[in-house]
Amino acid sequence: MLNITCKHCQISFDEKVMIKEKEELFFCCKGCQGIYHLLKDENLDSFYDKLGNKTLASAKTYSNDDLKEFDQKSFYDNYVKITSDGFESVNLIIEGIHCAACIWLNEKILLETQGIIEANINFTNNKAKIIFDKNEIELSEIINKIRSVGYNAYAFDSSLSSEKTLKAKKDYFIKMMIAVFSSVNIMMLGVAKYTGFFTGIHDDIKDMIHLAEFLLSTPVLFYCGAIFFKGAYYSLKNKIINMDFLVASGATLSYIYSLYILFGGAGESYFDSVTMIITFVLVGKYLEVIGKDSASDTLAKIKSKIPISATIIKNDVKTDVSIANIKVGDIIELKTGEKASVDGILLDYETCFDESSISGESNAINKIKNDFIYSSSVNLDKLIRYKASKTYEDSTLNSIVTLIEDSLSSKPKIEEKANEFSKIFSIIILSLSLITFCVWYFLGLDLGFSYENTSVFEKSFIVAISVIVIACPCALALATPMASLIGISLLAKKSLLFKEAKFLEVIAKADTIVIDKTGTLTKGILSVINYEIYNRDKIYMDLLYSLLNSSNHPISKAVKSKVTDLHKNLNNLDLKDIHTLQSKGMKANYSDHNITYNLFGGNEDLLIENNIVYSQKISNTLYVFCVNNKIIAKFELEDELKDNADSFVSYAKENNLDLIILSGDNEEAVKKISKQVNIEKYLFKVNPIEKADYISKLKNDGKKVIMIGDGINDSIALSRADVSISMGSGTDISILVSDVILLNNSLDSLKDTIYISKRTYSFIKQNLLISLVYNMITVPLAVFGLVIPLVAALSMSLSSLLVVLNSLRISQNKFK
Amino acid sequence: MISDTLFMMLFVGLFISFTILALFIWGAKTGQFDDSRKMMDGLLFDNEDDLNDAIKKENKIKEAKVKKKRTLDLE
Repeated sequence: MLNITCKHCQISFDEKVMIKEKEELFFCCKGCQGIYHLLKDENLDSFYDKLGNKTLASAKTYSNDDLKEFDQKSFYDNYVKITSDGFESVNLIIEGIHCAACIWLNEKILLETQGIIEANINFTNNKAKIIFDKNEIELSEIINKIRSVGYNAYAFDSSLSSEKTLKAKKDYFIKMMIAVFSSVNIMMLGVAKYTGFFTGIHDDIKDMIHLAEFLLSTPVLFYCGAIFFKGAYYSLKNKIINMDFLVASGATLSYIYSLYILFGGAGESYFDSVTMIITFVLVGKYLEVIGKDSASDTLAKIKSKIPISATIIKNDVKTDVSIANIKVGDIIELKTGEKASVDGILLDYETCFDESSISGESNAINKIKNDFIYSSSVNLDKLIRYKASKTYEDSTLNSIVTLIEDSLSSKPKIEEKANEFSKIFSIIILSLSLITFCVWYFLGLDLGFSYENTSVFEKSFIVAISVIVIACPCALALATPMASLIGISLLAKKSLLFKEAKFLEVIAKADTIVIDKTGTLTKGILSVINYEIYNRDKIYMDLLYSLLNSSNHPISKAVKSKVTDLHKNLNNLDLKDIHTLQSKGMKANYSDHNITYNLFGGNEDLLIENNIVYSQKISNTLYVFCVNNKIIAKFELEDELKDNADSFVSYAKENNLDLIILSGDNEEAVKKISKQVNIEKYLFKVNPIEKADYISKLKNDGKKVIMIGDGINDSIALSRADVSISMGSGTDISILVSDVILLNNSLDSLKDTIYISKRTYSFIKQNLLISLVYNMITVPLAVFGLVIPLVAALSMSLSSLLVVLNSLRISQNKFK
Repeated sequence: MISDTLFMMLFVGLFISFTILALFIWGAKTGQFDDSRKMMDGLLFDNEDDLNDAIKKENKIKEAKVKKKRTLDLE
């Protein structure tokens, strides 16, 4: 067998299945062929040079039936904005982007189109902003243009709030860079200043250094530090004292004192401390906001997954209406692969539906006439019609989305340990400093602190300031972010994505794990665990392959992958009279050289129907293939447990975590799995809303709940849990509402998540302890004036360094 | 004497580094670092054609704006 790469997508296929065109020009499908020629004609074939040897997905061909949707007024109202120049602007998400060459191609083809003014695609999140002139080009033509080169695009609502968060992040970044820049410079000046302290320094040079430090620290305090002033203002307004207040007051007092030194006072300036305080705390804050996604952004993405219109049939005329306008009793037509937008009753005789969004089980479910169709389930079989029994407002899909919306917007804020701690700390330090000043000033206390020509007021002020500086909150402020950063980067190396650092602490504190069955504990796909083939003649294998090929049912797919593993070079024969037998299997005919083969493949029911005796009793799903009433092969299928499920369960039990299985599957299946992995508590046949209620109930009982799931049916429960973990293979919605994503879907990573979270959390506590002990030693010394200001400034860096070094120890560990 | 030289060196140094900082901030504010992947990979394709494209793109925007303004004025 010779494998040849497709000229367009560069994926290798067997030569036989390729479309051959001249020498050396092979394509895997019509789609790739079309695009190749299009690019050639438009002189865009340098795309392939840019692509290098990377592969693309084989080009899909789009039906383009839905294109008119994009030109409807309702669509324009929702997604298209008018720019200040009077052009139209739309935000799209482009599907199918693999590499920089894809970006180049899309931007190029869009910009060469008449009427498109600007097209800018972001590589990192595949979002495109397109500005166009409606008088020259319709939106549908733009979408069509993108589709013509093998990509797809859909609009999303870039609500103002997401732009706001983006702007806030950028603002933080710029402020941080300025602060870091100034700190680096001030540190260099500091080297000269501190060396001069020991070896002697001219007063004019010292003044010069002070002046330069003043220039560098002023923007840091007032521009970069503005957020702390704001935070301090709000904290005072709400009558609480927080870390921001300590940072702001400490920095300002040191700054004012340093100004006094700059203009001729005796002593050392603290400009360097001012800059360092602000920089360190700012870096810590930046680390916390960097990965944050606003809730509204998440919701916008969820909403883009909902179909916007449906085809309804009135007096034999098809019309597209937006889903909000569907009335009870309307007859809706649903094509294969389309998602039902409202609940209803099936009018056709039979079809298959994927209800994984409701039950979490990806088995196709047979529906017969008058069966209930859930919105959000996907029609798998053929074109059908059904009658709407509810409006969109009352339908399952909408209630799921609304519930997710509610729980996302009301997600309780988690009070972090460091914050509680810093509140008390700030109050103590500030009052200590004030008391120190009063005692020194009014009682005339004087302990070994000597500067010539200083008044009592100056002395008292210097000592009070050194209390604040030495208790500098850097170490405290860095304790959490530093440890989290290292924990999170460690997790990222193991392909675990944390959306926010604070979830480390929540996971470490959790006591209950609620876990979904299908796709989370199990692989979620049926696979052949056992098979027997009684007759391996080539013709039979070809027939089996052809029959399996004509169905999209998960069982057929699983058996097909097994058969192709066993036998190479199978031919797809031209079968006649292919019938799907409802919830039993399929049958077909084939004739070759006057020999007719009657074939069918399916489960036990099909055997009984055809009077074939089959005595073995099997608890798993069965697929039997018969030709002319003779069994040729049989396959047993099962949804397998994921690797290392046992070790995960035993790890969780060792750490006193309660495990509960929550599944939409039937009792038998759930019981079997729970026995296999040794989890005693399980709930079966729970729908999405019951799942969510169960989580709420656990939380009301005072449990800290981790929810692990992968489907739309888990989404509401995920959004209600204290922390939610979803599988990277899960549905978009479940990933969007989750706090942690396991990119490799393995239960081992789940174990790592819990282990590293616990370890990081213990280091956060250690760090807090270090800064506390440090302060307990140094602050009393400062209060009694035994620490000269220079040492105070130096030791500030030392405490931060201790915390940083301690945090680095997190990654020094052998993982089992 | 020494202090004069030092003074000059220090402030010239500061001036240069402030200029670089200002350029960096300008870059960040105009969104040049927003899409790190595109920026890094884009370097690979930096050739004459792409430069020409960039000019074409700018001209196109300019023309479109002029045209739009004209039509708006006519109305």
